[in-house]
Amino acid sequence: MCQRPAWGCGGRSVTARVDRELNPAELEAFGQELDALRQRTLADLGEADARYIRRVRGVVRLCCWSGRALLMLGWFPPTWLLGTFLLGLGKILENMELGHNVMHGQYDWMNDPEFAGRQYEWDIVGPADFWRHTHNHVHHTYTNVLGMDDDVGYGVVRLFPEQRWKPFYRWQPLWVTIQALLFQYAVAIQHLRLDKLVKGRISKEEVRPLARQFGAKLARQWGKDYLLFPLLALLLGANALAVLTGNLVANLLRNLWTFLVIFCGHFTEKAAVFAPEVLEGETRGHWYLRQLRGSSNLSGGPLLHILTGNLSHQIEHHLFPDLPARRYAELAREVRLIAERYGQHYNCGTLWGQFSTVLRRIWIYRLPAAGMA
Amino acid sequence: MALLSLSLARHVARGLQPLRRLCAAGWLREADVDLCLRLLHPALRLNRVFARVEARRWVADDVLAIELRCNGNTRDWRAGQHVQLYLEQDGVRHGRSYSLTSVAADGRIELAIKRQPGGRLSNVLLDHLEVGEVVELGQAFGDFAWPQEQGAVLLLAAGSGITPLLGLLRDALARGFSAPVTLLHQVRRRGQQAFAEELQALAARYTNFQVRWAFSGEDGGRLTAEQLAALPGAHLLICGPRGFVDQACGWWRDAGRGRSLQAESFSPLPVLAEADTGEVRLRFARSGQQVSGNGNASLLEQAEASGLRPAHGCRQGICTSCTCLLLAGTVRDLRSGELFAEPGQPIRLCVSAPHGDVEVDL
Ligand code: FES
Repeated sequence: MCQRPAWGCGGRSVTARVDRELNPAELEAFGQELDALRQRTLADLGEADARYIRRVRGVVRLCCWSGRALLMLGWFPPTWLLGTFLLGLGKILENMELGHNVMHGQYDWMNDPEFAGRQYEWDIVGPADFWRHTHNHVHHTYTNVLGMDDDVGYGVVRLFPEQRWKPFYRWQPLWVTIQALLFQYAVAIQHLRLDKLVKGRISKEEVRPLARQFGAKLARQWGKDYLLFPLLALLLGANALAVLTGNLVANLLRNLWTFLVIFCGHFTEKAAVFAPEVLEGETRGHWYLRQLRGSSNLSGGPLLHILTGNLSHQIEHHLFPDLPARRYAELAREVRLIAERYGQHYNCGTLWGQFSTVLRRIWIYRLPAAGMA
Repeated sequence: MALLSLSLARHVARGLQPLRRLCAAGWLREADVDLCLRLLHPALRLNRVFARVEARRWVADDVLAIELRCNGNTRDWRAGQHVQLYLEQDGVRHGRSYSLTSVAADGRIELAIKRQPGGRLSNVLLDHLEVGEVVELGQAFGDFAWPQEQGAVLLLAAGSGITPLLGLLRDALARGFSAPVTLLHQVRRRGQQAFAEELQALAARYTNFQVRWAFSGEDGGRLTAEQLAALPGAHLLICGPRGFVDQACGWWRDAGRGRSLQAESFSPLPVLAEADTGEVRLRFARSGQQVSGNGNASLLEQAEASGLRPAHGCRQGICTSCTCLLLAGTVRDLRSGELFAEPGQPIRLCVSAPHGDVEVDL
């Protein structure tokens, strides 16, 4: 669905975006078209969407529990491999298609406490409350605005020439690798604002309650994956070490996958960043435009979309963060046409195509005076 | 298919305290535990209230009484309170509140549901809710209570306003309340006198109780100030549509009888006309505040202006930090102009303006 030769989708030859600047009247019309699209989808939500998210929840349970059960059967390679894979798959789905989307309030209209965005707690070390702030509020409001959106490089990576260079960035390929391996921790501590603490801009007292909340969640997650289930294995006379490593690898798989998807969503070659001034008196149309320019899509089949929690449709997700993600594919068709009509580049490419441009950014901007050419 | 009987399940529910604690502390996911409990009995849950329909009987032409048996998760329910009954339609869990007309110790409760012309939920319940089905309820709320002091009690009801009063009445008489009690039930036409037979039986059995009906659809049938003045009572409990309640309360106070008065009205809160964005009443239920507001500004701004500090983030409808429940009334989405009036529905304060009087869970 993504292949649009006219834009050289995912290609490397064009480095600058070729967006047309819109005058205020056009911006207004652009915003209205997207609002209307949102309205149409909202009016159409119903039974099918509810059934879908319940089914996802069912699949998550099935994967996780069957994975855990298989791991109880020990090292025998097929059971360990399959168990680890299923558990990892379950965790990925829970993280992306269930947790992420539910916590965006995408299913609030169902009025079912189980899918209430403000209550959901997910199976990763970062407390859901942290994420509702750093992601739903900060990242989605200030998408790709330098100095406002901490998701731009998460403080350890320089991805755009507009970011001020520090000697620390020289080693960023290494930092990024560590970050990818420990991605759920990186996301979790984002809310603790340790950088500000170090610089003395916030006090220890402010951080302490948050650190405590984080500690509690960490204890639960570790307790569950690395203590409870291995102990259960011991009790059942199974191999505790096989269970422990299975859990470890499953979590690792998810870290790598989510890192991959998220970095491909905003830091590809043609993703744009913005100076804080854009926020002054920003209209709805302009907000939409910023979301469109700051996000990038991944092309692929339905399985890819589900595994990414439909963040493969990052553009649609950023335009309509609170619409059920299963709608993004159908929205994408219209969003692409609208973008085209207003002369905006629709940033889309294959997973590996997009990722290679992300890697390139990481590599190039480790040095102070680097251009993208 | 149930592995346990409901009475057994109720006992099990009591013994689930350790699991409840584990869920509250985040060690277990409540939904997963509930899934397993459902295998034991379809109504069994950790915290949520589910109930089985035990019986249904018509108590007037247009009123059905439903007997339900709850799963053991009810917390101190009293007759005269209200409870939300949930029904899923087109993917949405809709809730409607009904009064408890009786609450028994063994978990049996009775609700009475009146047919609403054009009502989306009530008609489905009346026509399709079968014995044996399992439905979800909320926790009961409301503080209508029988007067503590001795003295004659007057009960005034209009339409389905009879339901909470009936619950209180049954309870009081059964407990041996001995001062005079008078009930006047105003309905539109004959045949709508809900629970008439039972009320007559009560009147025959308890000499201190008498019941009367008024028919607002007939000439001179509507309750008047003079008739109210002639009715005995030191304490008034009144329930019905807003207009009826406001009027009768006014007469009661004018006659200087206003010492003990409890009133509840259930009409939808008034909705603004499209052009009219004048003053509205805002009620913030959790903080117990009632303030006057307007139909132009967002609920978030207006709540802040009256000293509340609701959670918020983006203030433009993106982050959902400010989501809270709409309890009553209508709100307008400032982005699309769309109106929302479903009670119990989550709304975003920062992009919702009151469209008439509203009550939110804040
Ligand atoms: S404050 Fe962000 S949605 Fe209301």
